[in-house]
Amino acid sequence: VQELADELALVDVIEDKLKGEMMDLQHGGLFLRTPKIVADKDYSVTANSKVVVVTAGARQQEGESRLNLVQRNVNIFKFIIPNIVKYSPNCIILVVSNPVDILTYVAWKLSGFPRHRVIGSGCNLDSARFRYLMGERLNLHPSSCHGWVIGEHGDSSVPVWSGINVAGVSLQKLNPDMGTDQDSENWKDVHKQVVESAYEVIKLKGYTSWAIGMSVTDLVETLLKNLRKVHPVSTMVKVTLLFSPPQGMHGIHDEVFLSVPCVLGNTGLSDIVKMSLKKEEEDQLRKSADTLWGVQKELKL
Amino acid sequence: MATVHEKLITAVAGAAAEGPRNKVTIVGVGQVGMACAVSILLRELADEMALVDVMEDKLKGEMMDLLHGSLFLKTPKIVADKDYAVTANSRIVVVTAGVRQQEGESRLNLVQRNVNIFKHIIPQIVKYSPNCILIVVSNPVDILTYVTWKLSGLPKHRVIGSGCNLDSARFRYLMAEKLGIHASSFQGWILGEHGDSSVPVWSGANVAVVNLQKLNPDIGTDKDQENWKDTHKMVVDSAYEVIRLKGYTNWAIGLSVADLTESLVKNLSRIHPVSTMVKFKVSPSLSVGLQGMYGINDEVYLSLPCILNNTGVNSVVNMTLTDEEVAKLKKSAETLWGIQKDLKDL
Repeated sequence: VQELADELALVDVIEDKLKGEMMDLQHGGLFLRTPKIVADKDYSVTANSKVVVVTAGARQQEGESRLNLVQRNVNIFKFIIPNIVKYSPNCIILVVSNPVDILTYVAWKLSGFPRHRVIGSGCNLDSARFRYLMGERLNLHPSSCHGWVIGEHGDSSVPVWSGINVAGVSLQKLNPDMGTDQDSENWKDVHKQVVESAYEVIKLKGYTSWAIGMSVTDLVETLLKNLRKVHPVSTMVKVTLLFSPPQGMHGIHDEVFLSVPCVLGNTGLSDIVKMSLKKEEEDQLRKSADTLWGVQKELKL
Repeated sequence: MATVHEKLITAVAGAAAEGPRNKVTIVGVGQVGMACAVSILLRELADEMALVDVMEDKLKGEMMDLLHGSLFLKTPKIVADKDYAVTANSRIVVVTAGVRQQEGESRLNLVQRNVNIFKHIIPQIVKYSPNCILIVVSNPVDILTYVTWKLSGLPKHRVIGSGCNLDSARFRYLMAEKLGIHASSFQGWILGEHGDSSVPVWSGANVAVVNLQKLNPDIGTDKDQENWKDTHKMVVDSAYEVIRLKGYTNWAIGLSVADLTESLVKNLSRIHPVSTMVKFKVSPSLSVGLQGMYGINDEVYLSLPCILNNTGVNSVVNMTLTDEEVAKLKKSAETLWGIQKDLKDL
């Protein structure tokens, strides 16, 4: 409905479901501006895609360790990613499947793509949820509430309290306790709600779909229309520079994918905005990176 | 101590904000209801949306999932509750609630079960939004639109069935595919009962006002070598096929409902094939008493080309149909009346 694509291809292994979904969309053709919608389990149908959104993968079973889940998804990605690359060697891959930071790393490794063309949906949704909750507290539309959640997508995401603002007015300046346990207004709870919101929606309706779908559309729009908007998405934060020892952004040294503010356009990720973080915020990011690397190094790719 | 809110923002307009002007309520948050909700939200048609259902967890979960997308939407207020008070002051109410046919169940039994559900739903809707326009989507849509009209006490121009809006969209998509053009460039209408006995108006099918039947007089008949009739058959079968493949249909119907909503909310006066009451009172200056369209004298709802604007069904286009097409419409009407007359407790 946001009219971003001139052709849409769907791929899955469940053939009936795939065909049914394609037909249902095609039947809405009169109301859409995307003249060609195709679907097949064979990846040749995806040829010449500008953007490929990957939502496939297994869900965590009860009691399953994150590592085991990731290894199962690595095996699925081993089939998917080379097929995508084969038919769309110049595409931008947008990974949504969870745990997204690790799987974006996996997709990057398996694709052989340059790092600016493999992006994880990361904290784009977390930030949107944060801004929605902020808007509710202040009775404003979310688009007028500025706040960034970065780092690992999930339990240890990092809310950048020092940057939260409305019309350039820093909220932390108005309330120096913001984000701490001493804060009488308990703004820290806003971030807690963001972290828990996915679990809550899953508990209530079984899964989340709408918000993540809209957030992916938001990213695809920026990519296809070459808008150069800044989004908190998952990208590699180790940068090999010309001098040694190699210095990662924010002092992170492993090849991990984390969400930081990125400029997106039709080449993919073109630039990263260097946020000035407080020491605690950098420490939290570093902690995320260590956790992620701990899982990544055990993977068999 | 002043809160962040107080320090940050100074109120100017002392009075509370006004109520919504284009509130849309969706009754039923199943696959169809949510597809309608999302299509309407992404088309930016409503300034407020309310969701109602009896399954409280599912309802709350769906509402939250939509709210989390607020940053990407232009509908600032989305609410949900099983209590209909949350639907107050709606302009449009979309009804997708109802039960599905059980294996071996007769249509009459299905309808009677849905009547019992609608008896609870419809009066509540009308209580809180007495000036709304109702769009009925639940199947069998023509009969349930009649039921809704009876239970609501609303004038017939404010009770619409989604009817053949989707059938016509599917027809236009399939015909356009064969001709290599976009669906919006193919003009074609499917009228009558939504379902197996819908009526494709072959005499009107055209592209750039070039009438297809003039190019091929056999079009739509069994004699036609190109077998265009098959396209209509595909329309009739398509819902069953999608259901067989993925378990249900939702995207196309959701988009089609958003299309109708747009005409109503934006007062566009566009023509849509929707289910409306076929029997109506003709102006006294033109004729005497009640006169059915196409000679149909029962109070049935069938899809006809209706001009939709902010009053609802403002008028109906008197499409010229062949005798055969009129006969098919009459047959639909008889079938529908046969079921309607046995319904209890309307």
